[in-house]
Amino acid sequence: MLSILLWIPLIGAIAIALWPNFQSGRQVKQFSLVVSVLALVWTAVIGSQFDIAIAGSQFQETIPWLDSLGLRYQVGIDGLSFPLVALNSLLTCIAIYSTDDDLERPRFYYSLMLLLNFGVVGAFLAENMLLFFLFFEIELIPLYLLIGIWGGARRGYAATKFLIYTAVSGIAILGSFLGLVWLSGADSFVYQPDLAHSLSLTQQVVLLGGLLLGFGIKIPLVPLHTWLPDAHVEASTPVSVLLAGVLLKLGTYGLLRFGVGLFPEAWAVLAPWLASWAVVSVLYGAFTAIAQTDMKKMVAFSSVGHMGFILLAAAAATPLSLVAVELQMVSHGLISALLFLLVGVVYKKTGTRDLTILRGLLNPERGLPVIGSLMVLGVMASAGIPGMVGFISEFLVFRASFTAFPVQTLLCMVGTGLTAVYFLLLVNQAFFGRLTTRADGKVVTLPPVAWSDRYPGILLALLVVLFGLQPSWITGWTEASITQLAKTAATPVAVLAPNAAAAVLGQSSIPS
Amino acid sequence: MPNTPQLKSKHPYAEYIERIQQGKTLLPDTPENVLEVVGVLKSYGVVMDAYYKNLIYIAEGQFLELFPFFKYFDGKVTIAKLMRHLWHDRINFEYAEYCMKVMQWHGGGGLDEYLESETFRKCAQKAIDAKTRGNFFIRGLNKAFPEFLLEQVRQSVYYSVLGQFWDVMCEIFLTLSDLYDQGKITTIPQIVEHVKAGLVRAASKPIVYAVEIGGQRYNIIPKSAKLTFLADAAIPYVETIFFRGTPFLGTVSYNAQAQQIPFDQGRFAYGALYADPLPIGGAGIPPTLLMQDMRHYIPDYLHQVYQQTIRKEDDLLIKLCESFQKSMFCVTNATIVGLMPHPIDTRDPKEQKINLVYLQGWMDRLRSSQLESVQIGSAS
Repeated sequence: MLSILLWIPLIGAIAIALWPNFQSGRQVKQFSLVVSVLALVWTAVIGSQFDIAIAGSQFQETIPWLDSLGLRYQVGIDGLSFPLVALNSLLTCIAIYSTDDDLERPRFYYSLMLLLNFGVVGAFLAENMLLFFLFFEIELIPLYLLIGIWGGARRGYAATKFLIYTAVSGIAILGSFLGLVWLSGADSFVYQPDLAHSLSLTQQVVLLGGLLLGFGIKIPLVPLHTWLPDAHVEASTPVSVLLAGVLLKLGTYGLLRFGVGLFPEAWAVLAPWLASWAVVSVLYGAFTAIAQTDMKKMVAFSSVGHMGFILLAAAAATPLSLVAVELQMVSHGLISALLFLLVGVVYKKTGTRDLTILRGLLNPERGLPVIGSLMVLGVMASAGIPGMVGFISEFLVFRASFTAFPVQTLLCMVGTGLTAVYFLLLVNQAFFGRLTTRADGKVVTLPPVAWSDRYPGILLALLVVLFGLQPSWITGWTEASITQLAKTAATPVAVLAPNAAAAVLGQSSIPS
Repeated sequence: MPNTPQLKSKHPYAEYIERIQQGKTLLPDTPENVLEVVGVLKSYGVVMDAYYKNLIYIAEGQFLELFPFFKYFDGKVTIAKLMRHLWHDRINFEYAEYCMKVMQWHGGGGLDEYLESETFRKCAQKAIDAKTRGNFFIRGLNKAFPEFLLEQVRQSVYYSVLGQFWDVMCEIFLTLSDLYDQGKITTIPQIVEHVKAGLVRAASKPIVYAVEIGGQRYNIIPKSAKLTFLADAAIPYVETIFFRGTPFLGTVSYNAQAQQIPFDQGRFAYGALYADPLPIGGAGIPPTLLMQDMRHYIPDYLHQVYQQTIRKEDDLLIKLCESFQKSMFCVTNATIVGLMPHPIDTRDPKEQKINLVYLQGWMDRLRSSQLESVQIGSAS
């Protein structure tokens, strides 16, 4: 049942690549949209069968593959991975929908999009570390090509930088996995929470260090982040949406699943350092974003900052903070996807993302009023204004981390304040004021925005508000798994009661 | 007789002076401009017709009604009309009132003087007495604050005067549109000439105002006050609405304390000829109200022109404002030519000199207007 989630995009990708009868780019787009919607529907089917009371993995499937290597095709889904799989299915649909109709080499593009979906879903579902690594690597290839072929002027540079960074990341992760299996004497790469129990603390710290490096690049954490702004600036809008919305989450998901899940003792030792690292990431991301004049780069650096919050909450590793991690992942996925989409529309209509040129885009007659309003909503959500999902996730992050790391939490909160600073700069510069005047004294006339350009943004904005008002619709999926993970972690810094998450979120109890 | 050339000016806007001297127009004479100006004046004429009727109704039918809730109903109150009003499916009569208030604020012409005269006070007092007969509260109020009701009457006078002015103008614009439809008007100079002729024809039309209270007529502006259309309504209107305007209700905020607004009202330049055609489009901003009314009555040929632009009719209000500004330059042009001290083609150097000084005076005022920007073709 679960494998169908993998088969749908894979078969779709192959069909697009090989089926000879596609006449136009539009047809290919429609076909791949159907495939991605099918995957989304199937995700919903799985969601409807998913038992939120079960903490462990569900819908497990195992097929022996290369047993001599310890590699098995073993997939399953739990409360940690389900929201991310759903997010991925949704954003893939949106990314495909918002791709230009007159794209060059459409068959190659859409098959890569679906292949990317396949890789990401595979990584989220994998219950064998080697399988996870395989999917993690598979996803790099389409993304590299998507940036390198359909990107901006410096796409070659950006794509290669991305590839080198993430290849290093893959090596570090593989190294840690191999080390773990070798040192623990396990006979396969099957994911088992108690795999590292027999290891010494030093061994654990070293292995965890490898994972931190690997996933730190993917998240990305400062100073491993430099590939991200380049990749975002050069990538086309749909690719940016997927990159920010889902692919970065592979890093945080990996940290949660393999870092907290496999090395709880080492995690507890490193936690204060990780929290401080989060502070550096958050503040660096925020201050750098303030200095940007390219809208997309600003949003990209804001991503760096906001992913830092996830590390902070993950470092605290309390039940509540781990719920916060999951919520912030989904929240950041939705909000950053929304922002990148809107920046994409602005770029498409105005031909620039330069904040020193753009002015007055909220003008109801000649500007982009709906896009501008969505942008105001998006940046408000990102800055953590109550009523939207950004608030609830950041509030949970700070609420949960404060008891463990008060100083670091306070510093990260400064980062939230700075989010408001740079996004106000962005909105004020690009959307308020009078529209730019041409050399002949007339006001610029921007091409009209079609409703089809607005729908994806409106959908994401609705979700941002919906989950802001009803966050339990995300956390509900994940609480059982998180509670178990927190128990596994059972670290000295876990000072909150296991059901604190439920208490804060207004739930009566958590099944365990 | 030798052909005496016109005097040359060294004014920065000498180009426009020369154009007027040669019988040309401020607005370039292109087929597109003709179409835009006539089209927008057609829709303006239609809404102006509704505006003027309502102004006259308020002046006469709502005289000294201190809470005139149904003032926009022209005396016909039905549930259906009330629902449409609340649903806002109606003309923005507020725009007409806004113009009326601006006129009253700036004053000017013989009307202003008349309203301060003893004759007016006497006439007004009679009407006030008649209207408040039996209403002891209002009579007491009038005793305690004798200027209060008097000022209300002055406002009613402006309602009436603007109504009478627009009555004439709306006819000029609608006949212009009819002539265009018949193919009799094809150039901008013809449009300017048509407006000028209309103004000249109505120039000496008397401005009078009377109200009926208890079956008896009370003159507020008697014929003996000798107020006339051109000098006491048209010129103050052009001065007020085209040139001066108000700094308070536009899209740009001014800070009076920082002296961003001239002390002398006469130096105000916030009128229609100066307005930024890019309003934020918010409800309640006066030019936007007018554009929103006009958009319902645009002739098909103008719709087609707008449809051919990049944004089609997404930015209709701005396009209307730009076209409207062009048409207002035609009206200004007609006024300038109509008020020339001597004929344009005069051969007498003395008269030419006087004409030149007169034209330079106008051009000084147009320096900061949108005159330059209407020279360029429509903004895509």
